[in-house]
Amino acid sequence: MESQMQRPALSISRLSFSYPDKPDVLRDVRLEIMPGERIGLIGPNGAGKTTLFLTICGVLKPDAGEITLFGEPMKHRDFRPEIGMVFQNSDDQLFCPSVRDDVAFGPQNLGFPKEEVAARATEALSTTGVLALADRAPHHLSGGEKRMVSIAGVLAMRPRLVIYDEPNANLDIRSRRRLIRFLQASEETLLIASHDLELILEVCNRVILMDEGRIVTDGNPRRLMSDVALMEAHGLEKPHSLVPHTEPHHGKAGGN
Amino acid sequence: MGQGMKIGLDEYADVDSALHRWEPRSKLVGLMTLIFAFSFVQDLRLLPAMLAVTAVLYTASRMPLSFLLTRLRAPGFFLLIVALLLPFLSGSTVVARIGPLALRQEGCLALLVIVVKFVSILTTGLVLFGTAPFLTTIKAMRALGLPSILADMTLFSYRYLYEVGDDLQVMQTAMGLCGFRAHCPGGRTLGTLASLAGSLLVRSYEQSERVYKAMMLRGYGRAPRLRHEFQARLRDVIALGGVLVVAAGFVAVEISLRGLGG
Amino acid sequence: MHIPDGVLPVAVSAAGYATTGAATWYSLRKISQKENPQENIPKASLLTAAFFVASWIHVPVPPTSVHLVLNGLLGAVLGYYSFPAILIGLFFQAVMLQHGGLTTLGVNATMMGAPALLAHFVFRLRNVGGKESRVRTGVFGFLAGAGGLGIAVLIFSILLTTFIPTHLDAAAERASICVLALAHAPLMVLEGIFTTLVVLFLRRVKPELLDNGAGDENRTR
Repeated sequence: MESQMQRPALSISRLSFSYPDKPDVLRDVRLEIMPGERIGLIGPNGAGKTTLFLTICGVLKPDAGEITLFGEPMKHRDFRPEIGMVFQNSDDQLFCPSVRDDVAFGPQNLGFPKEEVAARATEALSTTGVLALADRAPHHLSGGEKRMVSIAGVLAMRPRLVIYDEPNANLDIRSRRRLIRFLQASEETLLIASHDLELILEVCNRVILMDEGRIVTDGNPRRLMSDVALMEAHGLEKPHSLVPHTEPHHGKAGGN
Repeated sequence: MGQGMKIGLDEYADVDSALHRWEPRSKLVGLMTLIFAFSFVQDLRLLPAMLAVTAVLYTASRMPLSFLLTRLRAPGFFLLIVALLLPFLSGSTVVARIGPLALRQEGCLALLVIVVKFVSILTTGLVLFGTAPFLTTIKAMRALGLPSILADMTLFSYRYLYEVGDDLQVMQTAMGLCGFRAHCPGGRTLGTLASLAGSLLVRSYEQSERVYKAMMLRGYGRAPRLRHEFQARLRDVIALGGVLVVAAGFVAVEISLRGLGG
Repeated sequence: MHIPDGVLPVAVSAAGYATTGAATWYSLRKISQKENPQENIPKASLLTAAFFVASWIHVPVPPTSVHLVLNGLLGAVLGYYSFPAILIGLFFQAVMLQHGGLTTLGVNATMMGAPALLAHFVFRLRNVGGKESRVRTGVFGFLAGAGGLGIAVLIFSILLTTFIPTHLDAAAERASICVLALAHAPLMVLEGIFTTLVVLFLRRVKPELLDNGAGDENRTR
């Protein structure tokens, strides 16, 4: 138990949001994230995860509720480089004609001088392992490469809290493994929405289950996701690795 | 689109040649001026010089001849019409007769001028835009004063051109798999093609909303975009000067030839 | 319908650049006067790309097939952004596809872009004097599409007959303009119909594209 008082990285209370054609996408959401946590957000499609993210980032204006980011209130259209978001579809986020330009986009808009911009871009590209792709056009990259480049673009702004919206979408097995290792090595506070429950188990130390705009429950990943009744009630399944094996199929001693 | 259609000129952008190494802004100013100088020429006697200069430029660019020939084929249609009309309609000095049609000297000569100018300008344009990545060229234009709204629109359009093109191909394939054949004219075909175009627009629009959100999150519009990184070395400026002199030469000779009543 | 290099005298090319420069300046001014012009730049950019690609769609017209110009539709959807969009589209075509010309970029842009702006104003009229309806949208869509191409064809015909050295007398020139223009009449109708169909599709699927696509002044936020 931590004895020092730490300021939450993110604090949300009574957050509600409706789209003109879809009411109650977020209902009275309440959430607190401490720095250094790695939160997995799970739930069926339509649960409101992406909407929640966009509201937290100041892109969408909530109908009610408060958002506090690292101690400062977060208003609609505020620009806070401490928070970054990696979109589900990398093409939506890679909008410059070259990789290097795209990664430099954020730092440029932060007003840094040329050398600082270049340094940050190179640093972000190295961290994500795609420095070799710096002069390529995004169109010619594979799904995994695009994903890492879009992460680089976000990291170039040195955020303290990074939101990942379905980071696994459209990745092949190798890219997925690379992403998991990358996330495990990250030092920022993470908030990851994913249908890939195994990824959540490997990366996150806390899980939040969301359904129909509400947070249903919040807790330890293994314990929460082992609750079959809970998972199935919200359109999910118990992850394979938590299912007890009645027939050994993982090979000899040690298994998995 | 996709493998079939090659849009963009970046195939030979990474060859090494004097033209490739010429700083983009000076190259843009120099060669565009030359192109306009070519456009000014009307006198037959300057045509060989024009072709010679063009040949020198293209050879110096070290791009293959096949590339030029492929590109020359594209705008053929319009020129074909002009080629068919001019020699028969223009002028009064009849040189030969082909059946009922009279081949006129002025028309043939006018056609020759047009064709040579066209080939020279197209080739020079190819040298200008093919010896650097398209993206670099757009940045050079921005560095030379292109308004930022235009520059941004050009960059973003260019970025998504391929995606939209791929989208079109995917949709056309899907339509084909559902039995749609685009050869038959008629209301239904037109309606389907209109839906195709409409879908393309809607998808692009929806993607643009997501892109805008991504841009906002990375601070789009907050700070003025950085000044360019181009630097002209002495040799670039000298090359520019040289080309401008050649261009001025063409213009001067043309004017004096006209003055002489040529 | 793009005019290639080598055909027009320099004076005309220069005039073309001048008019395009003026029209671009005007459009950009109108654009920056709107609230939050930045929001529309991604929209206009992606739609520029979409229009560029859409113009590759072959429409069968026996015995062959044609590419549509779609400048009327572009004007209807993009508003003031349509002129820069056409300029950029033509630039891409000239540089990447050798379609059109570099010296004639200004002329081509004015020839297709000015009618696009007009088409925008015509299309806006669908809301005037009555409730917006499917029929009105369709009719004004047709007018925008057919008119957009029609005016472009007219400019094209006048330019060609005036400046290509054919040594025809004035009457013959007028006659050839008429012939050229009339020859394009079926295409005008085709573009009008196609524009109507697309506009009605958009009205059904994504009406915001028509009402506040990128440049309509009646947007509220």
